[in-house]
Amino acid sequence: MSLRSYVVARVLLTIPMILLLLTMVFLIIRVMPGDPADLHFEKRVDPETLAAFKQRLGLDKPLPIQYVDYVAGLLTGNLGSSMQDYSPIGQQIFSAFPATLELAIYSAAFAIIVGVLLGVRASRSYNSIPDHTIRIFGIVSYAIPVFFLGEVLIMIFGIYLGWFPTGLRFSPRMDAPQGLQLGGWRLATGLYTVDSLLEGNLTKFLESVRYLFLPVLALGTVLCGIFIRMTRSNMLETLRLDFVTSARARGLKERAVVYAYALRNAFLPILTMMGLQFAALLAGAVLTETTFSWPGLGRYLVARITFRDYTAIQGTVVFYGVIVALVSLIVDVLYAYLDPRIRF
Amino acid sequence: MAGGESRGRIVVQLFPRIASLRKRGLAGWTTLVGSVIVVTIIAMTLVAPWISPHDPSAIGVGKPPYPSPPSADFPLGTNHLGMDMLSRVFWGGSTMLQVAIISVIVCLVVGVPIALLASYAGGMLDKATSLVMDSIYAFPGLVLAIAIAAMLGPGVVNMALSIGVVYIPSYFRVVRSQVLSIKELPYVEAARTIGARSRSILFRYILPNVVPSVVVIATINFADAILTAAGLTFVGLGLSVGIPDWGWDLTWGRQYLTTGSWWIIAFPGLMIVLLALGFTLLGEGLSELLNPRLEE
Amino acid sequence: MKNRSAVSNTIASALVVVMIIAGVGGYYLGSQGVAPAATTVTQVAATTLFQTVTITTQMPTVTTVTTKTAVTTVPTVTITTTTGPKLKDTLVMGTTDSVEVNLDPAEAYDFFGWEIIMNTGAGLVDIAPGTPYNAGIKDITPALATDWTASADGKTYTFNLRQGAKFYNGREFTADDVKYSFDRNMGLAIEEGPQVGIGYSDIIDSVEVTGKYQVVFHLKIPFSPFLNLMAAQASYIVNKDIATTAGPVNYVEGDARKSNPNDLGPYVLSSWSRVAGKDNEMRLDANPNYWAKAAGLPMTPHVIIKFYADATALGLAVRSGDVDIAFRQLLASDIESMKTDPKVKVWQGTGAFIQYMLFQEKIPPFDNPKVRQAISAALDRKEMVDTVFLGQAEPLYSIIPKGMMGNTDKFKELDKDTAKAVSLLKEAGYSETNKLKVEMWYESSGHYPQSPDQAAVYKAQLERTGLIEVTLKGADWPSYRQNRNAEIMPVYVYGWYPDYVDPDDYAFLYWAAWIHHNYENPEAVALYDQARAISDPTQRSQLYAQIDDIAVRDCPVAPLYQGSAFAVTSPQVDGLVLDISQNFRIWLLFAKL
Repeated sequence: MSLRSYVVARVLLTIPMILLLLTMVFLIIRVMPGDPADLHFEKRVDPETLAAFKQRLGLDKPLPIQYVDYVAGLLTGNLGSSMQDYSPIGQQIFSAFPATLELAIYSAAFAIIVGVLLGVRASRSYNSIPDHTIRIFGIVSYAIPVFFLGEVLIMIFGIYLGWFPTGLRFSPRMDAPQGLQLGGWRLATGLYTVDSLLEGNLTKFLESVRYLFLPVLALGTVLCGIFIRMTRSNMLETLRLDFVTSARARGLKERAVVYAYALRNAFLPILTMMGLQFAALLAGAVLTETTFSWPGLGRYLVARITFRDYTAIQGTVVFYGVIVALVSLIVDVLYAYLDPRIRF
Repeated sequence: MAGGESRGRIVVQLFPRIASLRKRGLAGWTTLVGSVIVVTIIAMTLVAPWISPHDPSAIGVGKPPYPSPPSADFPLGTNHLGMDMLSRVFWGGSTMLQVAIISVIVCLVVGVPIALLASYAGGMLDKATSLVMDSIYAFPGLVLAIAIAAMLGPGVVNMALSIGVVYIPSYFRVVRSQVLSIKELPYVEAARTIGARSRSILFRYILPNVVPSVVVIATINFADAILTAAGLTFVGLGLSVGIPDWGWDLTWGRQYLTTGSWWIIAFPGLMIVLLALGFTLLGEGLSELLNPRLEE
Repeated sequence: MKNRSAVSNTIASALVVVMIIAGVGGYYLGSQGVAPAATTVTQVAATTLFQTVTITTQMPTVTTVTTKTAVTTVPTVTITTTTGPKLKDTLVMGTTDSVEVNLDPAEAYDFFGWEIIMNTGAGLVDIAPGTPYNAGIKDITPALATDWTASADGKTYTFNLRQGAKFYNGREFTADDVKYSFDRNMGLAIEEGPQVGIGYSDIIDSVEVTGKYQVVFHLKIPFSPFLNLMAAQASYIVNKDIATTAGPVNYVEGDARKSNPNDLGPYVLSSWSRVAGKDNEMRLDANPNYWAKAAGLPMTPHVIIKFYADATALGLAVRSGDVDIAFRQLLASDIESMKTDPKVKVWQGTGAFIQYMLFQEKIPPFDNPKVRQAISAALDRKEMVDTVFLGQAEPLYSIIPKGMMGNTDKFKELDKDTAKAVSLLKEAGYSETNKLKVEMWYESSGHYPQSPDQAAVYKAQLERTGLIEVTLKGADWPSYRQNRNAEIMPVYVYGWYPDYVDPDDYAFLYWAAWIHHNYENPEAVALYDQARAISDPTQRSQLYAQIDDIAVRDCPVAPLYQGSAFAVTSPQVDGLVLDISQNFRIWLLFAKL
């Protein structure tokens, strides 16, 4: 099977998967006690009014019709309107996602870089104190709930030392980074770090880093343990292989051996692991966002679950599913492409 | 007579086990440390009613103003309602452990048989269940747990169910990959050609080989379950406030960080970390013991 | 093999060392502390609470206020002119609120939505700032109406309107706009909107234009709180160019003008952005067409509102000076420690939010008034308020809060009386071996402030009698409401904040059908109907007192507490008024440079 047909097959498989996910969530949220129509009325409401209102939200139709309507809308790219504030869901998701994406990217980068560096260090001094310390750190960091670590960081660095802010994504005294402005056009990614650089404003860049620092530290630390252990065991295996011994025998410096040869081979499994961990990253982001009040998609979803905003929940779930499927597809394809042992 | 003898037997049997663990090097040590931590914490929650100086839900036991920092009378301080933190630490693990145990049981009882049947049978059944499991697996677990927990309402069993559902796919995957590889082994093939029934093949050949991996993933799952349980309580979907629980203290204590009352979250948080750590170590150690890798 | 014991020893000792360091470090950090909570609960100096507000403007035609028989801690608001020190040009305000749906008076029914409507729009009348504590609300002041008369039967109100007030596009405000606003808002009859919720069409029959600047309201029933109703944001005048009869005005991304049908107020909403369904930033700029502009209002021409996600972050922001004003919501512990922080100023005022405990009379034994009375008597409201809210709320002994006429202390006889609770329970047949089992529900998703804390305290208080066993159950807000409608919660706690400032909007809570606690009392309802038809405050107070008597006798509902309003600002900020009307008048705020 060629690479192209592999990709096609994977994409085709994604669709039933997402549909399945959507169906599950669709049913679960409607079984949950409480309904969004009733929640619009803080105070008294008489049954006729409530019934009329339910009609407005489309909740009076039988369940299968609601389902079909929604899926049909999905196929045309319409995610519907929120049952809480009537805004288009697509707009809300796309305004929330960049915050989560920024958090996820930097946390993943942190986890990978720190994890790999520590893993390499550990493998190089096998069975010694640094090795054991690093391994213990790897295990312990995984056992810490991310919101606990977040709270501790807030307490120490945010409140006690006052070095870092919390509760917003950017300083309230400045305008948010606008991105690149060319004439009437604006190019903005929604990632404040990138946008501030596009704008050429270093102050804003530093501000956005300041606000990102603690959440990334929390989420990144909790995730790096896995990479530490993976890198370490991969390096240990690779370092023992013949070609490494021969490289050493030829007199190459240790550092060159480690980084040039061994690490490159350890890279592929890390890539796969990253793909697998992506779902975990998004899940961890939910708690991190709640702890730091980061205005991202995870926090949005939790808030909407509390309001039973059916369309918002469904839309976000579908969005998550698509993102996760996309990322794992990219990772798998990259893996197949990079690994010379796998050929179609 | 019988009691003493059997006790003696147990002790005699334990020692070689411990000794043999020691012989197994780092893996053995990890398992030992892990089990010690877990057993200690379990013991602590079991004797909590006897060793707690105060009722963990009694308000205003100390001297105002609350929350009061650790002192001689209250070694771990009191929280903002004047509840003794030491008692809450003793009692707080019990619900979390219950949730973890029940969720692991749910996963074992539901996930493992489905995996065995589906992967052994192969064909459409295997593909269909794999698809379902992959969908669940691909989804951020916490969110699914939140949705199910919100649906079921508060309570220990409900929390355990929601966590269990989220982790069944992991069990499924592990068991399935094992079954697939064992299925093709020569001696299994041989058994089939002789005409052995599928059921006996499953039980006699496959299941015993699957058990070690299941044990490993169950212990690691314990740690995850505990963390997810704390997470659910943090989001407000866990247990009612009348039950002392570490997760509750973390949620409550959040509001008092700005005024410097660190002890409300610090000690319960540490306990959660310790418990999760214990299970992780246990899992890691067992993983190496049962599936030894060629490291040396 | 050779180093194994050395290795394992090293690991063990490393672990021990790490734990020691962690422990020592933790204690060290802890003993340093941060702004330590005051160990002596000081009565903060009078300067930080109940500020005397002297704002000075020259309002063209004002029958202002009220130097009434006031209690000593009253903020007296005198409106005089200032040409004093230079003031700041821009103020930054922080809040954790968010507009729930939109800013259309026909649909908005949330606190923050009403706050923005009030600051960008105007009604026929307004409530004078700083209405005294513990007196009746009689301080209706002119806004878009300059004077008014009521007919003798109380069913016809004639308003003479202000001349020369202009909408943003230059069009003049006339009586037609008043008729349009009411016809449209009531006609749209948006189900979740305040007109339907409050029942405007049960009160107002029609609006008639009798002159370019005169309008007459014909009511269906004599309704003495009518002027208070006219001062509510649901009665504000809309700009018909933006608010059409086609439907409500919703948030339009990138176009604040089109998102806000309110006009004629002190500010213009010049920018409004939402991210992920929650408000992100709002900008208010002085309205060049404001009818009271000559008086120097608004005091501060530019206001930026920033939205924070939680109280902790907001508290940090106001302390660090990121925002000049923080209003709703701040943590009680934070406020407490801020009272002694020289970098910020704490303002406290009357709140109108109340919470009360309900008994489901369909579930025995809560159909027995003795049991209900016993539970109320076993509670210690002051202790709860001090423990949970750090004294930043008031115990409530009547369903009508303090600061309103009709407030009494009648429930004091069913409070903090364990002996009485015990004797009532024994009369009802309970004993140490046969305890009363109470399943108490609370709302767990943060809809009401600190519900889990309250629940924990109530449980402890009830169990002090020795004859009650409490099981606590929490449910998130949607589930809680569903349970309420399904009538399955034996004992539960609910909350209320008013639509308009009058006891008429509180008293009915004793028997309201939509609370689903299944209590009826035609006698009380008759008293209530009587009270809303007459206008003499003394007579009305007496009627409400009688209703309270019935309530104490039957105890269908146990009032719990009344929240106080708090705001925290930087020391230079002044002009805040936190009165019973709950109106946050941004146009009065200013800060010295």
